[in-house]
Amino acid sequence: MSQGSVHIKDLVKTYTDDRGRPTFTAVKNINLDIDNGEFMVLVGPSGCGKTTTLRMVAGLEKISSGTISIGDRVVNDLEPKDRGIAMVFQNYALYPHMTIFNNMAFGLQLAKKKKDFIQETVTRTSQALGLNQMLDRKPQALSGGQRQRVALGRAIVRNPVVFLFDEPLSNLDAKMRVQMRSEISRLHGQLGSTMIYVTHDQVEAMTMGDRICVMKDGIIMQVADPLTLYRKPENLFVAGFIGSPPMNLLRGKVQKQNSGLVFTETGEQNAISIPIKGPLESLVSKYVDKPIVLGVRPEHITEESKNGSHVPLTSAVDIAEPMGSESLVYMKAGSGSFIAKIHGEKLFHQGQPLTVYVDTGKILLFDPETEAVIR
Amino acid sequence: MKPSQRLRLKKILAHGFLLVALALVVLPFLMVLVASLRKGNFPPNSLWLNPDQWSLEHWKYVLNIPYSEIVNPSTGETRMVQPPTPPLHWLWNSVIVSAVSSAGIILLSSTAAYAFARMRFKFRGHILQSLLILQMFPAVLALTAYYTILDSVGRHVEWLGLNTLPGLIAIYLAGVSTNIWMIKGYFDTIPASMEESARIDGASPFQTFVRILLPVSVPIFAVVFILSFIYTMSEYPVASAVLGTPKTWTLAVGASSLLREHEKLWGHFAALAVLSGVPITVMFLVCQRFVIGGLTSGGIKE
Repeated sequence: MSQGSVHIKDLVKTYTDDRGRPTFTAVKNINLDIDNGEFMVLVGPSGCGKTTTLRMVAGLEKISSGTISIGDRVVNDLEPKDRGIAMVFQNYALYPHMTIFNNMAFGLQLAKKKKDFIQETVTRTSQALGLNQMLDRKPQALSGGQRQRVALGRAIVRNPVVFLFDEPLSNLDAKMRVQMRSEISRLHGQLGSTMIYVTHDQVEAMTMGDRICVMKDGIIMQVADPLTLYRKPENLFVAGFIGSPPMNLLRGKVQKQNSGLVFTETGEQNAISIPIKGPLESLVSKYVDKPIVLGVRPEHITEESKNGSHVPLTSAVDIAEPMGSESLVYMKAGSGSFIAKIHGEKLFHQGQPLTVYVDTGKILLFDPETEAVIR
Repeated sequence: MKPSQRLRLKKILAHGFLLVALALVVLPFLMVLVASLRKGNFPPNSLWLNPDQWSLEHWKYVLNIPYSEIVNPSTGETRMVQPPTPPLHWLWNSVIVSAVSSAGIILLSSTAAYAFARMRFKFRGHILQSLLILQMFPAVLALTAYYTILDSVGRHVEWLGLNTLPGLIAIYLAGVSTNIWMIKGYFDTIPASMEESARIDGASPFQTFVRILLPVSVPIFAVVFILSFIYTMSEYPVASAVLGTPKTWTLAVGASSLLREHEKLWGHFAALAVLSGVPITVMFLVCQRFVIGGLTSGGIKE
């Protein structure tokens, strides 16, 4: 049953002015295949084209070129209501002059469904979302979280094959956001429908998505499941975007020294050096004495050496952010600082010399020109 | 001067200024009211009437209640006075013309505003700007054009020519430029996501317009209605050119007919002027209820 799968082929969106002259290309020829029942997250910084892509799937934006198929139908020329989709907007988009019941029933009323059917469907959905008591109220009388649930209910009532979410949690406070995140995930588990979720928050992406599509400037940088994006980013952008705190990216050169190959950061002061050992040695062979970018995550720079692949690194503490059970320590490096995640309830002060251990097995190398990972 | 004294002085000056401004507005109205209750036809120039100067004759005239008037003071001869055309008839004409025009103006400008606000088409910006420029020209400039057009239309369609109320309404319906701008501005403040949601729910553009956008736009429609109503009620030049027979006159034209060259019936005129304030006031009170803020609150997160 592939009716909920979505296939995006060679999709382009170019905006034009009133006269029809092209002004800006928001989506530059992307290809994406979403399986039936998958929770696909489109993530990226503002202006990367993720919302535009979502809106083209919904039918709210005209497609400049390329095709979008839902199931085995090409939906380019279909109106939103005929595509089998439902959308949850960032600003709820509820109808303020109607009661909650009518908000959820509107689509069914337009489709001229029988009154009993409408009553039953809306009541059942509102019960599942805990909105039973509020069916007679207007959106004005509800809190932000409740309103978003109504928006969710309105989408569920449509019984779509694909759910579309446009940054639905951005307007909620942190606590509500965490709650709604799990509700949406639970909903996905219950309904099993395909869900396409747009967000700029990589934490939401990592926690909710089956697969994540990272976008930048209208093109897809990488599509993979969260763990693969974390472990094996394909380019500098994905490496720096996924993961909080972000991966340390140090620019420098690999040089041959007496002890072997050593990466030295560019910079006048505090330039750090990391020896290149093991499988990395063969990867780096073409880049000796050439500019290179070394990436290592803060969680792989710790306070003790766990195994043979850890190498010590000594520098001075710049800033320390105690988070309770662990601290994020910003340490001086050639071009500013790098971050280490130190466990334990410790305190650090500025200027304090500290030796940390880098897990060389988790180091990634990138070509600074192509920005691709070296493997 | 101590600070408290200075504060009091400021308050006195502020209140004084307000009282003067208030007087400038209220006193002329009171003078007209007094003139309408004064025996004889004197222009509104005093606020005080002696007991023997009071008379309801002007109001009787306006409300079409026959009364007797002394024609010859020396012989005591009287006659019954009745207006040739009841002024109330003019009031009724005015109300019809204003109400129908205002409703029509709302219909025309809201649909046009919807197109300008929500649709993209060639020359959209240019047309909007030219509307802005066109509206600066007073309607009076086109007077001869209106006359000629209505004249020729009237030859083919009897009820839509000169001397007809529908003809006048047709001309008033053209006063949409400012209103299109106002309504478009209001629509621009309503986020499109509500309508997009309706579109996904299956509403056609017309259904979206009627069931989603209109209910939320009630305040601006109330404003446009009342402004159009007031304008058409008090409009004189076009109405007087188009409407020739007394039976078709609107209040503005009828009232000015009382101020003839040699016999200015100030008293009757004053009474009629006060009377014409009634429909406007009533309409204002009715529309005021709808001019409420925060209509989109709850629907959209700003």
